[in-house]
Formats: sequence, structure tokens, C-alpha cells
Amino acid sequence: MSAPILQLSTDLYSLDPSALTLTLTNNSCYFLEVVKRWKLIICFVVCSLQKEVEAELDRLVGQEGTIHTKMLALQRMGPNLQLIGGDASQLSGMITFTCSLAENVSRKVRQLDLAKTRLYNVIQRADDILDLKFCTDGVQTALRNEDYEQAAAHIHRYLSLDQSVIELSRQGEESSAVDASLVMLQEAEQKLKVIVAEKLDEAVAAVDLAQVERFFKIFPLLGLHQQGLARFGQYLCSQLASKAEENLLLATGGDLGEKRALLIFADTLTLLLEGIARVVETHQPIVETYYGPGHLYTLITHLQQECDKQAQKIVDKFIQQRGYHNKFQIVQSSMMKSVPGERIEPRYVCVELDPVLTEVTLMNARAELYLRFLRRRMMADFEVGDAQSITQEHQQNVEKLLKHCLLSRTMQELIGYYIPMEEYYMRESVNKAVAMDTYEKGQLTSSMVDDCFYIVKKCISRALSSSSIDCLCAMINHANSVLESDFREVLYNKVRQGFPATTLQDIQRGVSSAVSLMQSSLQQGKFNTLGIESAEHAKAAFLNDCSKLFSQGGGSGDQAKIESCLSDLVNTSTKFKDLLQEGLTELNTTAIKPQVKPWISSFLAISHNIEEEEFNDYEANDPWVQQLIVNLEQLMAEFKAALSPVIYDTLTSLMTSLISIEMEKTVLKCSFSRLGGLQFDKELRSLVAYLTTVTTWTIRDKFARLTQMATILNLERVTEILDYWGPNSGPLTWRLTPAEVRQVLALRIDFRSEDIKRLRL
Amino acid sequence: MSMEDYDYLFKIVLIGNAGVGKTCLVRRFTQGLFPPGQGATIGVDFMIKTVEIKGEKVKLQIWDTAGQERFRSITQSYYRSANALILTYDITCEDSFRCLPEWLREIEQYANNQVVTILVGNKIDLAEKREVLRQRAEDFAEAQSMLYLETSAKESDNVEKLFLDLACELIREAKQNKLDNNDTAPMPGEGKTISYLSCCSLN
Repeated sequence: MSAPILQLSTDLYSLDPSALTLTLTNNSCYFLEVVKRWKLIICFVVCSLQKEVEAELDRLVGQEGTIHTKMLALQRMGPNLQLIGGDASQLSGMITFTCSLAENVSRKVRQLDLAKTRLYNVIQRADDILDLKFCTDGVQTALRNEDYEQAAAHIHRYLSLDQSVIELSRQGEESSAVDASLVMLQEAEQKLKVIVAEKLDEAVAAVDLAQVERFFKIFPLLGLHQQGLARFGQYLCSQLASKAEENLLLATGGDLGEKRALLIFADTLTLLLEGIARVVETHQPIVETYYGPGHLYTLITHLQQECDKQAQKIVDKFIQQRGYHNKFQIVQSSMMKSVPGERIEPRYVCVELDPVLTEVTLMNARAELYLRFLRRRMMADFEVGDAQSITQEHQQNVEKLLKHCLLSRTMQELIGYYIPMEEYYMRESVNKAVAMDTYEKGQLTSSMVDDCFYIVKKCISRALSSSSIDCLCAMINHANSVLESDFREVLYNKVRQGFPATTLQDIQRGVSSAVSLMQSSLQQGKFNTLGIESAEHAKAAFLNDCSKLFSQGGGSGDQAKIESCLSDLVNTSTKFKDLLQEGLTELNTTAIKPQVKPWISSFLAISHNIEEEEFNDYEANDPWVQQLIVNLEQLMAEFKAALSPVIYDTLTSLMTSLISIEMEKTVLKCSFSRLGGLQFDKELRSLVAYLTTVTTWTIRDKFARLTQMATILNLERVTEILDYWGPNSGPLTWRLTPAEVRQVLALRIDFRSEDIKRLRL
Repeated sequence: MSMEDYDYLFKIVLIGNAGVGKTCLVRRFTQGLFPPGQGATIGVDFMIKTVEIKGEKVKLQIWDTAGQERFRSITQSYYRSANALILTYDITCEDSFRCLPEWLREIEQYANNQVVTILVGNKIDLAEKREVLRQRAEDFAEAQSMLYLETSAKESDNVEKLFLDLACELIREAKQNKLDNNDTAPMPGEGKTISYLSCCSLN
């Protein structure tokens, strides 16, 4: 508001006075008027300016009070600030002082610490020097007194002294004295080493166990772990060797009982391995106590060398005396030759093979057991040392020692020869069982089946008893091959021969000939089920045995291997099942169908286009179904006697299917009246009722279509079918198609074809 | 079988002289490892790997056999049920190549006649030590109507290809077999065709 007014007043002041004067002279009246107006304007402007200024001044004066109070407050605070300043500087002084004090103290503590450690070192060194002196003196006396343990203890103490300490002590004032004692100690050490080695050798030579153990314990004190173990191992080996030789001599030369003689080499090997195991067991505590854990491995490495040597001797003798390789060659050559005439009589070979095979598996089982024992002991020994520090290397060393030792290799070789021989034994025995097959009356199966499965089981059990997983798997593979190809072939051929179609042409002899054919061929059916059961039974048994084997420490990989091999065996049993099914189907078509078919087609001869009178007549004298039932009963009775229940059931199932199919065909060829339909319904009911009694499962399902046909044939009117059809069918599921329903309806002579056509199904 | 989660199951057996790298091939394929200083195999080792080929799950049962003579009778028992054999030799070892005819005789004697055999020359990473020329091996394989492949278990060259090609071939044969069997009803008693099918039938 004030700005434009000020602006106006300035404008006025800036008017040019000359111009004003000029105008003044021109017209004074007008000028006066103008001046008056200007005065008015100026007055107004000045007034308003004045008001503005006054208001401003009033505002400023109003503020004065607050400023004043603030000034007062500031004046009061002045002295306080001075006080704070003083306090602050005082505090800073105190902190600086404390700091320097603390630094002082800690410097002193550090000094104290250093002094203390040095003191300890000094004490330690003094101790060591004293020890050194004590050891020097002690060793001398101990050696003089032949107290080797004491001497070794001193040397051990000396060896455990810090080498740098000894160096340091040499630099001291007493350096010459220390040097002298050190030299003495070193001399004593060398001397002791020689003496102990000599004494141990002497003790070993004298077979003095107490002395051997005494010096054996001294070696680790002198830092000679490896040497000690080697010498001790040598001693133990010599012990084992003499014992083993003695045993082997006894085995080959001595008089033995008949029963033991068969397994004498396995027994000898067992004695050897048990001996070593016992040695390990007895000496493990000494080794662990005096040598520390982890050293058993070294000792066993030494022992294993002797074990390999002795085991090799036993196996060599075994191979020689039992003619192992010779037998293998015979087996191999006779397996190669396909011409049976040139073969060496297998029976003799088998009889001879049997005990040798048992002995080999026993030997392998013993070796496996022994190696497992060693593995367990060595790993346990490493574990005692430090459970965490069982490195890959330790494990690999142990595995390498056990898997690649000569004993393992020798056993692998024996098993390598064993497998073909066992395979041969199995094959030949199965062949023999097949050849000697007999069938006893009253027996459902012939001897062959039991024999074959007994043999296969025996061979696999023997392979299992070897404790070698690979051997077992290989034998399962071979057993599988024998069962799947050879034995199955035999059964298959029997089934084939069993049903010569020509013999069935004579209907008169129908039933009896069928049964006589059954005598030979139906057994196949029984064989097969037995086969299946046996295979599965055997599998269960093996799995049981296998799990025992695993609990002794087999890997999971091994279990997978066996399971895979066994699953092949199960596949084989499935094949036997297929063969059985095949045999039964063939039996059904060749033996049952030709007889059942005419019985059913005789239905055609019975008119079902009947009236009340004939219906009643049929009621009194059954025209067809009773005869059929009697015939069936006779036929099935023969089968029932000769077949095992499972197979009989399967056969009746096949037969009922056959009957239902044949019936259906026949019915579709007939024509029916209303009462004829009723008659058929009655007949069908009795047939189904009979068949239900002879089979174990429900056969209604098989006759569902026929029953539905009977329902249709029984209708009053064509349209009545709609009460059962589609949405009205209720629980009934129609097995007939609409076209078939029409076809059946057309069988009723009283139903008009237009009505049937008109039906909406 | 329908419970199992695979469409085909094949047994593959590796054979060949000791030290040609059978175990390394198997471990490279199944575990992706190349263990240096692999010891000799004892007896037979067994591994499983399931692969997918054109949307079909194929379970490969791989039997890794010991090459040493004393295990021969164990390894021979696996030939009969094998769907495929991988006959391996070492390209840096003339000896392992010269033994091949002997191995072929074993196959002839023990394996079923439908077995697929593939010849594998391993260790091509040691090219500077090669003793058996590729052409020679190829000619040999062709004369025996075998497939041929060179691999390196160490560098993982062709290892995957070896097993996958083999699986493809086996699937092809299995399908072929199925067709044949559908055309002419399988004759009972010819156990081998049936056995072949039953162990690799579709779910």
C-alpha cells in the first residue's frame, strides 16, 4: 500500500521546476488550482505514510518487553557457563592422568609375565639338565645291572627332551660337562639298541616267549617301533610256521576218521587261520600298550606274509591230493563236447566232485571269516588312536592288504575253478533226475520235479556257504540258466507230447483216454506249480541266509547284486507259471472241449418251441441238463483226483468259460416259445447251481451274458425289455449289446420282428 | 513291473582285459568320477543309472566285471542274461587288443545270440602312447559286425555317448522285437525271445 504512494510523491518532487514556472506564467489561475489539488494529494499521501510508520513503531515497541526478558535471562546464565568451562578442563586433566597410570601398570605386568616365562624356561631347562645328568648316570648303572627296561626308560627320557634345549645347554658354562654326558648318552643309546636287538634275536632263537616279549616292549622306548614289530612278527611267524607244518604233515600222513578225511584240508586251513587269529588276539594288548594304537596294521602285515605262505602250501597240497585241477579239466572238456557218447560217465565225476566242492566252499568261508576278523581288528585299532583320523589312506591300506594278499588270490582262484565244476554238477544232476524220472501212483508229481529243485537248492546253498558273494551270484545265474532253459525245455516237451490230438478222436474212450493222457501230461501242470512254489520258497530261504551273511558285514552293493540275481530267478518262476497256463489251456482245448462240445450241442435236439403239455413233460423227465451235469461230474471227478487243487481250480475255471461260450453259441441257433424260454431259464439255473458247487470262486460272472439271454427269452412282450433297459436297468449291468438283445428277442417265435425293430434301445 | 518307475530295464556287462579302464568308464558314467589309482576289481561290481531317452525312462543295470583270469568263471555267468556287452580294450596296449578274439569266443559261447556288442577303445587321452591305430580297430569291429567307439574315462570323452547310444540301440531292438512278436505269435519254449521281452516290456 505504501509503495505506490511513495512512488507518487517522488514523482512530484522530480517535476521539472522550469516547466512549472513556464506554466505559471501562462495561466496563474489554472496553476493555482493545480497547486491546490497537488497539496491535497500530498496531504493525503503524507497522512497515510504517517499512519504506516506509526503502526510499525507500535509493533516494534510491543516487542520490546520480550526482548528485555530474554536479555535478562542471558545475563543470568553468564556465570553458569564459566563454571562449566572450569569443570571440563578439570575432567580432562584427570583422564590424562589415569591413562598414563594405566599404561604404567600394564608395562609392569608385561615385564612380570616375561620374567615368569623365563623363569619357567629356566626351571625346565634346569630340570632337563638334571634329567640329562640323571639319565646319564642311570643308564650307566642300569646297563651295568642289565636292567634294560630302566636303561631304555632313561634313553626314552633323553630322546623326548627338546633337542634345542640340549643345544642351548651346551653353550652354557658347563658346556664341557654337558657335552660329555651327551656323548655318553648317545653311546649308551647305540649300545642299548644293539644289546636289545641281540637279546631279542637270542630270545627268538631260543623260543623264549617271556624274553621276547620283554625286549619287544623295549623297542618302542628307543623309537624303534618298526624294527620291534618286524622282529616280533618274525618270531610269531616262525611259531606259526612250525605249527602249520606239523598240522599239514598230520593232515597228509596221519590216519584219520572217514568223516574228517573228506574235509581235512579245510580243517588244516581252519587251524592255521584260527592260530593266527589267536595270536592277533593275544598280542594286540601288548602292541597297543607299548607301541600305541595304530601299529596292529604293521604287525598283521608281517603275519599275513607267513599266513600267505602257509595257506599256499595247504592249498597246493589240496590241489595235488584231491586232483582239483584234474577234475576241473575233466569237467571243462566234457562241458565243451556236445556229443554225449564221448563223455566220461558223469555220474562218477559227480560223486567225486561232491565232497571236493564242499571242501572248497568251506575253505573259502574260513578265509573270508578270517579276513573279516583282521579288518575289524585293524579298523578298531586305528579308531582307538583317533576316531577322526581314520583317513582314506588307512582304509585303503587295510583293503589293499586284505584284498590283494596271496590268501585272497589263492581263494579267488579256487572259487574260479569251483564255479564251473559246481555248474557241471548241477547240470548233470538235473539231467540225471530227468532221466530217472518216475511217477508213483497217488503222488501228484513225479520224482523229477522234487529232485531237480533239491539239486538246484543244494548247489546254491553250497555256493552260499562259501561266503563269497560273487560266487553265490554266479551260481544263482547258472541255476537260473539251468531252470530257465534246460528244465523248462524238458517240461515243455512233456506238455507237447502229452496231447496227441489223434488219440482223442475215439469218443467212446473219451474220458478214460483223457485221464490216461492226464496221467503223464497233467503232472506237468503240477510240476509247474511245484516249481513256482519251490523257486519262491528257495528265494525266501536264500534271502534269509543272505541277510545272515550281511549281518556279518557285507556291503550294500553286495546286497543289490544278490537281489538282482534273485530277481532273475523270480522271472524264471513267472515263466514256469506261463508254461503252466499254456499247458492247461492246451489241455482244455484238446481233452475237455471235444467232449463237452457234443454234450452241449445236444441242446439243439431238444425243442424249446413248446406248449404247456411238453413243458410239463420236461418237468417230469428232464431232457438235457441233468445228463450234462452227470457227464461233467464224471469228467471232473477224474481230473480232481489227479490234479493238485490249484491246478484243478484253474482248469475248472477254463472249463466253465468254455461251457458258457459254447452254450451261448448253441442257444443262438435255437428258437423259443414263451414256455421254452422258461424251460431254458430253469436249465441254466440248475447248470449254474451245479458249477457253483464244484468251483471255489463265483462263476456267475462268467454266465452273466447267458443269464441275461434267459431273462430276455422269458419276457411276456417285446416292450417289456424296456423295463430292464437303460434308465430302468437298476443294479443290472447289461453285458449284451442292443444288437445282441434284438438277436435274442428274435429267437422267440412269438415276438414280431416289426415290434423288435421298433424298439428303441 | 508296472510299479517300477521306468519303461525299460537293460543289463549291460563290461568285459575286457584287466586294467583297460572298465571300472573307470562305469564310475565316470554313473558317478561322474575318475578315481586315480583305481585298484583291480574283485569279482563283479554292480551299479544302476536311470537315464531318459526321448521321454522314456531307461534303467541301466551295469555289471562291471574283473578282467583278471581268475575271475573269469564268475564273470562268464553274467553273459547269458546281458542285453548288451561292452568289450573294452586299451588303445595304448597292443596286448589288450590282441586278446579281443579270445573275448569274442567267450561271448559266442556264453552270451545269448541277441546280445548287442560294442567295442570300446579306452584311454584316448594318452594319444601319444597309442599303440592301436583307430583304423585297425574300426576294421576289426566292422569285420565282427560290432559298433566301435573310442573313449576317455579320464577326460569324460564319449563316455556319456557310449552308454546313451547303447541304450538307444537296445530300445530300438526291444521295439523291433515286440513288433516281430506281434506279427507271429511267440512260440512257447523259445525262452530267449520271451526273456528278452519280459525284462524290458513297457509298463
